[in-house]
Amino acid sequence: MASTTRCLASLARLSLSAPARPTVVSTIPKFLVPSVAAPFVRHAGAGGMRKKPVKKKKAYKTFRSYDMSDVETYSLCDAMRYLRAFEVGQPPTVSKYELHVKLKTNKSGPVVRNRIILPFPVKTDTRIGVICPEELAAEAQQLGAVAVGEESLFQAIREGNIRFNKLICHADSQDALKKANLGKILGPKGLMPSAKTKTITSDIKATVKELIGADEYRERNGVVRMAVGQLGFTPKMLSDNVKSLMSSLKHDMAKLDDSTTKALDDVVLSSTHGPAFSLNGTFAPTDEAITPEHLQSVM
Amino acid sequence: MVGVIRRMNKLNALLGVRNGPGAAILPSEVTRIHLEFAHKFNDGHMGPRKFWREALPRLKFWNPAVPMVVNRSHDQSGPATLSLYFREPGATVQPDSAMPSSSTEGDAKAPPPAEGEIVVTIDMKHRRSDMILKDFLAKSGAVPVKPTPQEESLMRDVQELEERGKVDRERVKKMIDHEKREKALMAQAHSEAAAIKAAL
Repeated sequence: MASTTRCLASLARLSLSAPARPTVVSTIPKFLVPSVAAPFVRHAGAGGMRKKPVKKKKAYKTFRSYDMSDVETYSLCDAMRYLRAFEVGQPPTVSKYELHVKLKTNKSGPVVRNRIILPFPVKTDTRIGVICPEELAAEAQQLGAVAVGEESLFQAIREGNIRFNKLICHADSQDALKKANLGKILGPKGLMPSAKTKTITSDIKATVKELIGADEYRERNGVVRMAVGQLGFTPKMLSDNVKSLMSSLKHDMAKLDDSTTKALDDVVLSSTHGPAFSLNGTFAPTDEAITPEHLQSVM
Repeated sequence: MVGVIRRMNKLNALLGVRNGPGAAILPSEVTRIHLEFAHKFNDGHMGPRKFWREALPRLKFWNPAVPMVVNRSHDQSGPATLSLYFREPGATVQPDSAMPSSSTEGDAKAPPPAEGEIVVTIDMKHRRSDMILKDFLAKSGAVPVKPTPQEESLMRDVQELEERGKVDRERVKKMIDHEKREKALMAQAHSEAAAIKAAL
């Protein structure tokens, strides 16, 4: 069969004695021929400007997850030893340990998000002012407020003597605060108490505690990142903070509805100037010559 | 989050904090170390800075229990000194006694030696970091740490990776440059065509 078609094709070529397309036969050069005189030639679309088909990328529903079997993991004390070496000479309250928790999760859908009060707060520069009736002042001061009172505090604010960077107001003092006309001073500083920011409260104790210790964490691109300690923390303190964050995270993940599944993928400890170490969940250092007590000297 | 492989390659470079200049174990008599110098390098503060950046992390890794405090100030004309605190033979010194923590504002001055302590100071001003380290090792009696055969082979791997990276970087740069050049040519041609059109 194949041989006959080939034969026919060659025969057809032989029979085409005249050119397939009519050409302008004249003595004038080809480029002088007006275009109207030229026969209408429609060029075939083959080749030339045809667009290449765009390769379709496979869309992944989940964030990329790596094979963690070959990854070197470290105990908490080992990671701390390295990080303390990298951070040597940095002020210990400025440099922070940070935890990155990678989750196995879909790219879309609900995210893990919560506030947590760590056993050892990372932020220590929170200074709270409390506007409250004078009889509650002593209690507020005991909770750690640096400035308390009602009229005395208003006077101090008017004089520009602002020693706090967070201001809360007891519900009973709300009217007094309104009368004091401090919006012009406190507003631009973002210190004006309002119910919207939950800084007007009837339970001073709970609010102060939340302001001092609570930190927010939230999942972004499948990773929860949070500062979990200052460089000056002892291994025990850091371990307590890490544990409390992890249990809170697990609690949050369990609370999500059944249609979304999230699982822990990787827990990584890093620091402000240091590299990142995957943790393996153990605490003790692997080097026998080192004990956790060695890792709490002054930095 | 940074990929695992890239992270592991970076961690292999941690060999650099275990080995190299400054990887040495201090004798148990050394109780603490204090460094003082300025933030910027002029007026002879380059050597101390380099010493802090390069040698001190290695020393800290091998001697995690020894407090090493760096006091940086903004006063360039100020001193650059390293203070080594030794325990006198037979004496017991309270750990971390009155040792301030590192500061960037120059307010963590070297404390006076506690009872049973002696101080040896090294003037670091206008000196290169390797000379400071040499002096430091001699005065402290520290024993340098030698890399294990395993670490040596790992070091070779890291170096190989670095060399391969260099080749790759050049190749990719060539590609990117070529692309950029073509783009620039096209843009120029387009603008010229537009100019001609506008002139007509």
